[in-house]
Parts: sequence; structure tokens; C-alpha cells
Amino acid sequence: MAVRALVAVLSAGALLATAACGGSAPSGAAGAASGRDEGPVKIGALHPVSGAFAVDGQQMRRGAELAVEQLNRNGGVAGRPVELITGDTQGKAEVGQSEAQRLIAEGAAGLVGTYQSAVSTNVAVVAERNKVPFVMDVTASDAIFTHGYRYSFRVQPGSTVIATAAANYLKEVSARTGKPVRKVAFLHEQTDFGRGAAEGFTKAAAKLGIEVGPDISYDATTVSDLTAQLTQVKASGADVLAVAGYYSDSLLVSRALASVKPDLDAVWGVSNGAYDQPKFVADAGPGAELYFNTNYHYDATKPETIALRAEYQRRYGDPMRTGAVLAYDAVQVIAQAVAKSGSTDPERVRDTISTQEVEPLTVGNGPISFDGKGDNRHAVPVLTQVQGGVIKQVHPPQIAESEPDYSVMWRQR
Amino acid sequence: MTTATEVSPASRTGMIKRGGVLAAVVVAAIALALLQSGSALVVWQSVVTGILTGGLYGLIAMGLTLIFGVLDIVNFAHGALLAVAMFLAFGVVQATGLHPYLALVVAVPALFLLGAAVHRGLLSGRGGGSLENQLLITLGLSLLLENGLLLFFGAEPRSVKLPGEIQIPLFGAVVAGSRLYAFLGAVLLGAVLYWLLRRTRLGTAIRAVAANGPGAELVGINVRRLHTLTFAIGTACAGAAAVLAAPLISITPTLGAQFNITAFVVVVLGGMGNVVGALVGGLLIGLVEQLTTIFLNGQSSLLGVFVVFVLVLFLRPQGLFGRRA
Repeated sequence: MAVRALVAVLSAGALLATAACGGSAPSGAAGAASGRDEGPVKIGALHPVSGAFAVDGQQMRRGAELAVEQLNRNGGVAGRPVELITGDTQGKAEVGQSEAQRLIAEGAAGLVGTYQSAVSTNVAVVAERNKVPFVMDVTASDAIFTHGYRYSFRVQPGSTVIATAAANYLKEVSARTGKPVRKVAFLHEQTDFGRGAAEGFTKAAAKLGIEVGPDISYDATTVSDLTAQLTQVKASGADVLAVAGYYSDSLLVSRALASVKPDLDAVWGVSNGAYDQPKFVADAGPGAELYFNTNYHYDATKPETIALRAEYQRRYGDPMRTGAVLAYDAVQVIAQAVAKSGSTDPERVRDTISTQEVEPLTVGNGPISFDGKGDNRHAVPVLTQVQGGVIKQVHPPQIAESEPDYSVMWRQR
Repeated sequence: MTTATEVSPASRTGMIKRGGVLAAVVVAAIALALLQSGSALVVWQSVVTGILTGGLYGLIAMGLTLIFGVLDIVNFAHGALLAVAMFLAFGVVQATGLHPYLALVVAVPALFLLGAAVHRGLLSGRGGGSLENQLLITLGLSLLLENGLLLFFGAEPRSVKLPGEIQIPLFGAVVAGSRLYAFLGAVLLGAVLYWLLRRTRLGTAIRAVAANGPGAELVGINVRRLHTLTFAIGTACAGAAAVLAAPLISITPTLGAQFNITAFVVVVLGGMGNVVGALVGGLLIGLVEQLTTIFLNGQSSLLGVFVVFVLVLFLRPQGLFGRRA
């Protein structure tokens, strides 16, 4: 009956999934893909261009495409034109793995991607086995860098770096504006992303003498109302609410906040998926005003970034997001390594990546250069704030477009 | 499988008794939550939120339970059809600037026709006969609809704003107007469906087909047409649910998945085919979800839902308000 059929469908699905994983397991060191040393230099881009994350996936693929066009306008690298070969992860780890395998077989000198930590974790394994460099644009999880992989690199700041910066920035900004933070309520989605952000933040806050509690989590895939959680925040007497969530659930937070009206001085996003997006301002309206977010961000003060974003807006009729700029930078990392080493031999490209310095469009306090584990040494998170319906960089001071505004009391709304 | 739309006096007293037990369990759970959290306001807000979101779950499950109870179809496309209706509502509001609830006039008939077309075209034919096939067809349909929406609208989440949204204070707790309207809509829809099934000729025929298909055929009921009609009514309910829920959530092509599992749990809890049971089951699940977050912070609220689900399957496999087959 129904139950039997259900079991049949589920087990068929499970079989397909394992088959896909098995099929993607590389047969050995496949560095010698045909045609890598002649013709165009191939760079593989892996992003979720279909499925639930397609909006960001499309953005990032376009960012990589713009980078390749730019390189070709300047005569290519190492005297050869550059070609972007693309794969669609569909947001699924096993698809990402098999697509990575395909791009490597087609002769990619290096891969960029993938937006989701779970997918990147799997692609990193494929890159490692095939000895092809993998430069992550967006991938928050720090766990990938605990395995000692030689071929994995990351441009964006990791989740611990962001969470620590979020705590430091909060201390600095609140002290500067005369309302030093006492107690932070932390609201986060419950998977690795949200929990990691909460743990990192709590650890850093403890060193700064900031109390964190209550720690409230929710299931982002099923939640449709956060009023009760915000009531808990209100009852706790916290003066700042930190939120680590994805887009839709973070929007729900702002709606619940508007009805519960807890006595807060600030709403503080920690690698939040909504509070630095222009779309959030459109969806939440006046309720979005003065929300902070600590996250990776493009350098809005750099002329090259401004030009690139204008070009993107003109071509695609959509504001360019940070993910796309990170993909652009990740392509530069591989291209420059090919140019410097004068070779597409993956081993030499890897060695060059690990020692070179690349000028980034994304914010950092220096060039993109990787530490021994493959993490970008100079990636620095940025504090943004919604001011007058516009997302502004407000901290650290050297890249600030505007002063942080800590003055509005949420309780007065 | 049976439908529980028939109520004999004997089973009515049983139902009242079960309702009493259920209420006692709920009250005990709330008291425990109060001990656990120590803040009456937090628990009270949880109860209010639980009841309101529960109404939403009931609303979404009602169409599903009708289809399940009468046609024996496990309709995996229900969530995707809900998503289609939401995009329809979004499109209507976007294009005309009308009040979001006026989209009901478009979404309900459109989903009725879509439901009829799906049943005629995919499910009632020879291939759609067996239950396994129906399951695969509805699963395939949901993939088709989701990816179709993705193709046309993209994955960007949309939202529908209710003009003049109000906040209603309720003994310290707050209730967003849109949530209250969705809840009242659920109760109203439940009443309409109940009336339709119990008091009209059509309802009698539907119940007859559900109870005994071949028998109904013998007395001159066109079973195939009635099946199509029931499927269409069930789908139209998804249309109504979508319009009422649209201002509350972010509209994405994959939002159906968010509600599918909960809706199935609600259907089984309430007794398959029992629309009032779906509403009560929805309320229960809403409450369980909210109380779970108080008891087990850091755990998925689905954990509590499934504990209750397994308990009910174990103690009353026919559902809280269903009759033994």
C-alpha cells in the first residue's frame, strides 16, 4: 500500500544517491587530462545555477565569466586565451562531486566554487585526489581546513573569523556610541552554519566581557514564525540581538521583531544571509532600518569594484552581490598563478597559488595570500548597516562609507 | 482505508472522550513548559503562536486529507500546487495592485481547474491506476511544477505585503493580523468543507464513493467524475490556503517541501479524510512545535512532532479522529 510504495521510492532514491557517489569516485591521479598544455587555459567554475540556491549560483557564475572576459581583453594569460568551463552543482554535494570530476577531465587548470560548505567539502576531496587546485569563493565552514588538504584554498573569511570580528566590532561600535553592550541574545538556525557562528561569537564575546544568552536556535527549513523566540529575547532583557540565519528566516526575524518590539539597542547580523542584501530592504521595508551585519563583503570603496558592479548591473539588470565578486577574485587567483608559473601543470599552479599575492576586489587588509592551511590570511569581515534604505559599510573605519548609527532605540518604535 | 466523515452517536461520545484526553495532555504539557521556562509570557506567546501556525497547517492539510480519504492518493504534489497558487497570488497582486486576499477569486478557481486537469490527465488513466504509480506520478509532478516555477520566476524569494498590517495585543502576547486572518480562514474553510460533505448531495456522493466505490457505482454515481471533482476541490483548498498564507512566508518554488511533511503528519493525526480532524491535528502540531522549542532548545521542532506522530501511530493508528478500518 501507500507505506510500501513510499519505502520503495525512498530506497530507490537512496540507491541512486549511492550510485552517484560511487560513480564520481576518481579512478586515480588524473592530472594528465588531455589537451591541458595547449589551446586555451581552462578554469572550471562550479556553482548551484539550478535548484534552491540558483539566484546566488547564477550571480557567481557571471562573476567568474566577467573575470575571464576581462583577462581575455588584456591578452589572456601566459600568451594563451582563457576559457571558463562551467558545472552546475544543483546545490547537491554528490552532483558537485561528479561535476568537479568532469571539469577536471576536460582539462581544468583549477576550480572555483561552490557557495555551499557541504558541496565544497565534497569537491575538495575530488580536487585533492586529482591534484588540481580548488579555490573556494564562498564557503563558510572551517572544517574543510582541518584535514590538511594541499589543494584547497579559500578567499572569503571563514566562519570563526567572521564570528570573532562580529563580537569585536560590536564591542567597539557600542563603546564608541556611548551605549556599551552588556548582554547579547543569540538567535541562529541550527545547522553547522548557524551553530558555528553562535559558538565562535560566544567564545570571542566571553574574552571581551560580553554576556551571551539566551542562545536560541530554530529549524530554518520548516520555521514559519519566530514570534515566540523573539518574546523569549524580550523576556531575557538582552540589549542586543545577534542573528545568524539564511534569507527567509532572517526576514521572519525582522517581522516578529516588529510585532514583539523587544527593548534592544541594535540587531546584529553574524554572517547573516539577509541583512546586507538590497532585497532585504525591499522586502522588510522600514522595519529593515539600522540592521547591522558582519559578513564578507566586496570593497565598496575601490574604483575597480565600483566599475565592475556598474558593468554587472548594466549587463544583467541586477545588483552584483558579494558572492559574484568573490568568484571574480577566485578566478584571478588561478589565472595569476598560471601567468606567473607560465604553465597549466596543476602541481606548479598549486605551488604558485600558495606563495603568490593577488590584489583583491573583496575586502581584506592586504592582498589575497594563503596560509599553510589554504585560508586567506588577509580576509577581513565588514560591518554593514541599513541606513536610509541603503546598505552602507560602516566599520572598520578605513573602509567605512558612513558612520555606524547606534542611536536609534528599537524600543521607541 | 476509510473515511471518517460518517459520525455515529457511539463514535461521537468516543470522540468527545478522546478530545478530553487530548485537552488534558495539552494542558499538562503547557504546565510543564511553564516550569521549564519560568516565564509565563514566553509560554503564553508560544501557545498563541502554536495555535495560529497550527491553523495554517490545518488549512494546508485539509485539501490533502480530502484527496487522501476519498481517492486513496498520497498526493506528493500538494506542496508544489500550493507553491503554484502562491506565485499566482503574487502575480495577481503584482500585476493589479489589488488587496492580496482578493487573489482568492483567481487562485481558487484556477487551482480547481488545475486539479481537475491533473487528475484527468495523469491520475485517472490506466497508468495512474495503482497506488505505486500514483505516488510516482505525484512526486514527478511536484518536481515538474517546482522546476517550472524556478524557470519562470527564479529562486529569489518573493513576498506579498498585506496593506495596513496590524498587531493585536492579547494578554501580553502579540498576534499579527495576517496570522489571525489565516487562522480564521482555516476555521471557515473547515466549516465549509464539513457542510459540503455532510449536508449536500455532492457530499453524500463523495462519502458514498469513499466508503464503497463499486457500491456507489451500482447506484448510478459516476465514480470517475466524482474522483476528479474531489481532487479538484482538494486542490482548490490548496489555492485558498496559499492566498491566506502568502503574506506570512517567503514565496519560493520549493516552499512546498517545507509544508509537505507537516501536512502529511497532520493528515494522519487527524484521521485520513477527516477535514475537522485535519484542523485539530494542525493545531496540535503547531502547539507541539512551539512547546518543543521550549523543552528542547537547539533541537529541530520536528523532533517533537515526530515523537507525537509515532506515539499516535502506535496508540491509534487510524488517527485521533479516524475510525478503525
